[in-house]
Formats: sequence, structure tokens, C-alpha cells
Amino acid sequence: MSTIKELYDYRQMIFSLVKKDLRGRYKGSVLGFLWTFINPLFQLIVYTIVFSKILRNDIPRYYLYLFVALIPWIFFSSSITVGAASIVAQKDLIKKIYFPRMVIPISYVTSCFVNMLLCFIVIFAVIIVTGAGINFLAVLTLPIIMIVEYVLALGMAMMTSAITVYFRDLEHILGIVAMAWMYLTPVVYSKSIVPERYLPLFNLNPMTHIIDCYRTVLYDKRVPDLTTLLWAAGLGVFFLIVGALVFNRLQKHFAEEL
Amino acid sequence: MAENEIAIEVRDITKSFKVYLDKGSQLKERLLFRKRSRYEERKVLRGISFTVKKGEAIGLIGHNGCGKSTTLKLLTRIMYPDSGTIKLKGRVSSLIELGAGFHPDMSGRENIYTNAAIFGLNKKEIDSRIQSIIEFSELADFIDNPVRTYSSGMYMRLAFSVAINVDADILLIDEILAVGDANFQSKCFNKLREIKAQGTTIVIVSHSLGQIEQICDRSIWIHEGLIRAEGPPKEIDLEYLDYMSRKLQDSNKKNAEAEAADSEEPVENKQGKRWGSGEARIKRIRSFAADGTEQSVFRTGEDIRLTVEYNVKKPVRDAVIGFGIFDMNGVQCYGTNTRIDKLPEFELTEGGTAEVTLKNVQLISGEYMIDIAIEQGEGIPVDYYRQAYKIQMISAYGDSGIARVDHSWKLQR
Repeated sequence: MSTIKELYDYRQMIFSLVKKDLRGRYKGSVLGFLWTFINPLFQLIVYTIVFSKILRNDIPRYYLYLFVALIPWIFFSSSITVGAASIVAQKDLIKKIYFPRMVIPISYVTSCFVNMLLCFIVIFAVIIVTGAGINFLAVLTLPIIMIVEYVLALGMAMMTSAITVYFRDLEHILGIVAMAWMYLTPVVYSKSIVPERYLPLFNLNPMTHIIDCYRTVLYDKRVPDLTTLLWAAGLGVFFLIVGALVFNRLQKHFAEEL
Repeated sequence: MAENEIAIEVRDITKSFKVYLDKGSQLKERLLFRKRSRYEERKVLRGISFTVKKGEAIGLIGHNGCGKSTTLKLLTRIMYPDSGTIKLKGRVSSLIELGAGFHPDMSGRENIYTNAAIFGLNKKEIDSRIQSIIEFSELADFIDNPVRTYSSGMYMRLAFSVAINVDADILLIDEILAVGDANFQSKCFNKLREIKAQGTTIVIVSHSLGQIEQICDRSIWIHEGLIRAEGPPKEIDLEYLDYMSRKLQDSNKKNAEAEAADSEEPVENKQGKRWGSGEARIKRIRSFAADGTEQSVFRTGEDIRLTVEYNVKKPVRDAVIGFGIFDMNGVQCYGTNTRIDKLPEFELTEGGTAEVTLKNVQLISGEYMIDIAIEQGEGIPVDYYRQAYKIQMISAYGDSGIARVDHSWKLQR
């Protein structure tokens, strides 16, 4: 409880770190902030070509089907992989001055989150331009889904960033894990083609539900299933609590380990 | 607000560091060389307890590595103690690593916001302070330029201004009153006094005992991880100085002995420090206190007796012996010789000892190099030995300059 109050007191620091990160990320590059959009767009093009032209599937408007899942996925995976290095990257600050250490993963995940929100502008543009149509009632649930994903990503980032301080290999291991995780989550394919016996495993994966919700809202134009959303929220909160506990335990020796 | 409210309570804290002889933090290293990641446990704090009342200022003193900086780091909560508890009441600001989180490409103003945010201030609080921060830093003309264009002095001034304007309840300071020029330093000092008068609790770690004496109500001397003495700065600092000077003399003596064993005579022309015709050579220089004990550390106001032993190869007529005292910046503090002092010129025919007694030496604390020269007639060097000898002055005063000028005050109301 006191942690939450303290984090609230340091909200200005979170804001300014997020701002610094967003402004500094593409500093010096010619295209600058446009990279925020170019990166996911190229991933989208590659995956669309591979999975709809070469491997073939019968999903109509596959590019949109993929796009609404890919953007949230990129947010999640960058939160855990690059987020893992966030504490180590800020070691100068941590060794020099006190502030609640959680500020760092929080601000990192938040800046990834803002990036995702910006990409959603592109998603909506694509939806409108291609005439795919929007269900406004369903879109109203979108913020809830986003918050659930944010909570989950934050929990994971807290865990990975704290452990990475003690065990630097994790950063690299997570690159592999993130790739495997993506293919074990119905991002490029549909959950319906997953064999029955693997389904319980897929259901344990919180990202399955979250991606499912995004797709229901933006692709199927329906309000998401309440059970799916609750599953996702429950798992998200669980990971956040575990992440926060792990982080709190490990943070005491950050200054010495860095 | 009770008068005796406690702001800081430190109870029996211990802290040790693992000093890895060969640390691997990668998986491969951990698995392959498990036995290799041995470490030594170094106990830095062995159980320290003290309390600081609200509005009190204390100074932590002790020699390098005694644990005073570690204590301060534990107070800031950058690190945590292995055992024991620390209780702090109120907002803590630290002047430990100034300018943490400064971004070189951002303007001074933006950096004020970022830096103040790191101290836990919100936007409204920063808005209300920004004017006084900029004013205090004297950087109004440059405040919208990127920080990378600042000189290091400007950088420190900005950082200090932010940290000191946080309006903390507890202020922790590590050796930072060396910010900017003398003017700004005295301004900082005044600001610290003002802050203290407003009821802020202050903890200072410093080597400058003068600063501690001027601000602190109490000194805590930490020695090898334990509190050795605690009390009014004037008493504790003196006790500490006494201990240090004795220790310094011991080590100086050891060094001197080692050097003497190395070579009987000082090496010729060591780094261009020595020149002359060489007809007579300085062999050994020693310094003594008034009571005759050999030492090279003196208190301001003590008498110093210098002796110079020399060899003579060829007789030197019209010889002059002189000395010069230089501070560590190379500024000459004093210099004279036997001719200036109107001693009759003399002839050096065989080895001997020259002696000069410096009375009531008023040099302020610091290290000083002494040049010794044997010359012939109107300044022909026979053996000019630069930086031939080193003495150290210690003083409990915090005055500045080169030498203490004797003075007295009279204040009229």
C-alpha cells in the first residue's frame, strides 16, 4: 500500500521518463518518429505475404486479421524483452539516487503502451480506408482490453527486469522466448485451428485471451466474451502481483549488483 | 511538532559487501566456473546506531573507507542494511550525486523538471519552485540552452540548485561544497544555513572539518565500521585530527625509510626536478617539531625545524642556502635564502648540516612542497632541488587562502 502511495508521489518522474523515452528513441534518425509506424507495417507486410500468399489460408481480409493482433503483440513482446534490460540500462540513476525502483519498468512499459496507442491510429485508418466497418459499442470495450494487457505486460516486465540484474543472460533468452511465445499464441493464425488436446495449454496463456478480445472487437466487430475477458484480467492481475513481489524482493540489492 | 522530535533513527545497522574475485553473471560462467566465483565478505559497518533530532545537523567524519559514505548511502535508501533498521521521517533529498538523470540534449529548464521529478516532486510543486531554482543557479541567460553546452561549473550549479530547492525535511550531503567558484560556494553555504534554520535535518559527510564545524551541531566519528566518538564538532574533530596526524606520521616515516633504503643519495635530476653544478649535494632533509620529535605533519601555528644535510665534492665559495614553500597548485607561499636574510656568505668545504627554524607557521591546512637550493654568489645553482620535501599542515579552522593572517574582531552595535 505504501508502495502505491509512493509511486503516486513520483508520478511526475514516470511522466518525464516516458516523455524522454518517446522523444529520445528515434533521435538522430532521418525518419524519426515515423519509425514507430514503419516497423510494425513492414512486419505486417512480411507476415501477410508469408501466411496468406505462400502458406495460404481462407481468412478474409487476413491483413486486418493479423494487424489487430500484431500491434498488441508487439507491445507485449517489447515490454518483456527490451523491458528486461530497463533496470540495467538505468544503472547510473539507480546507483546514485533513491526513487521507487518500480518507476523504471512502469515508465518503460508505459512508453511502449503509448507507442501502441499511436499504432492504433493506423489500425483505425486502415479499417476506415478499406471499409471494413466498426462496431462502436464493441470499440468501447477496447480500453478495458488495453488496460488488462498493460497490467499483464507490467507484471512481466517487473519480473524480467529485476531478474536480469542478477542474471544478464535472461535478456537474450527472452528474445527466443518471445519468438516462441508469439507462435504459441494465436497471432498469425486462428485459435480455431489449434488441436483440441492443446487447447487447455493455450487457455493458460494470458495472451491468447487478450489477442482474442482485440480480434473480436476490431475484426469480428462484436463485444468480447465476458469469460474470455475475465480470464485475461485474472491472469493479468496474477502476473502483476507476482511480478511486484519478485521485484520488491530483488530490488534491495540492485545498487550493489549493477 | 515537538521540540525533540526524532527525524532519523538508525539502530544497529551492519553492512558487508561481497568483493568478487572473479565474478561471472552470465549463465555459462555461472555453470562452468561455479567454484571460481569466490568472494570475500568485507564488513564495512559493524553495528552503528545514532539518532538525529529534527532540525539538527550532524557531520560524519572518518578516514577513507571507514564506512561513512556507506552510512549515507544507506540513509538515502540506495542500498539496504544487512541487519538493523533505519527510520526516516519526511521527504529526503540528497546532494550525493548531483545531476543524476540530466540529459545533455535537453535544455536546462527541461532538466530541472526531470531532475526535480526524480526527487519526487510533482509538476505543480516544480512550477512553484522553478523561478527560485533558476535564480539560485544564476543561469537565467542560459536556461533554455541544451545542458551539453554548459561548462562543468554551470552544470554543477544547476544540479545543486535543484537539489537544494526540493524543500526536503532531511538533507543528505556528501562532500559537495566544492561546487562552482568561491562566490557560489559561499552562497550554497548560506543557503544551507538558511535551510537548517527552517528546521531541516542535515547529515553531512565531509573531509573538510571546517565546513562541518561551521554547520553541524554534532560530529560522529566512524572508525572501521563503528562509532568511535560522538559529540560537539570542536572536540571530536580535534580528537580525530590528532589521531590522523599520528597515523600519517607513522606512514610517512615508513615511506621515508623505504626510500632511504632505496638509495643513499637522491637520484640525480629526477624528472627535471634538480639541477646545478653539483659541487655540493643535498643529502637528506628532515623536519622536527619544537619538542625535537621528527615529524612532517604540523598544526597551523606550530614551529617547524628543517635540517638539510649535504655533501661537498669541491669547496663552494660564497655559498647561499635557501628554501621555498609551495602549495599543491605550485603557488609559492614563501621563499628566502641566507643572502636575503643578510647572513654573511660562507664557504662550504666539507659535508654538514644547515638548519632553519620556521616559527609559528600560519599556513592553512593542506600539503606543501619545499624546494631547497644551494647556490653560489649571485644565484649560480650548485644544487637546486625542486620539491625536495613534503610537509603537511593540519588545522581545525575552516579559513581559506594560503596563510592565516592573525586577526581579531570587534563588532559595534
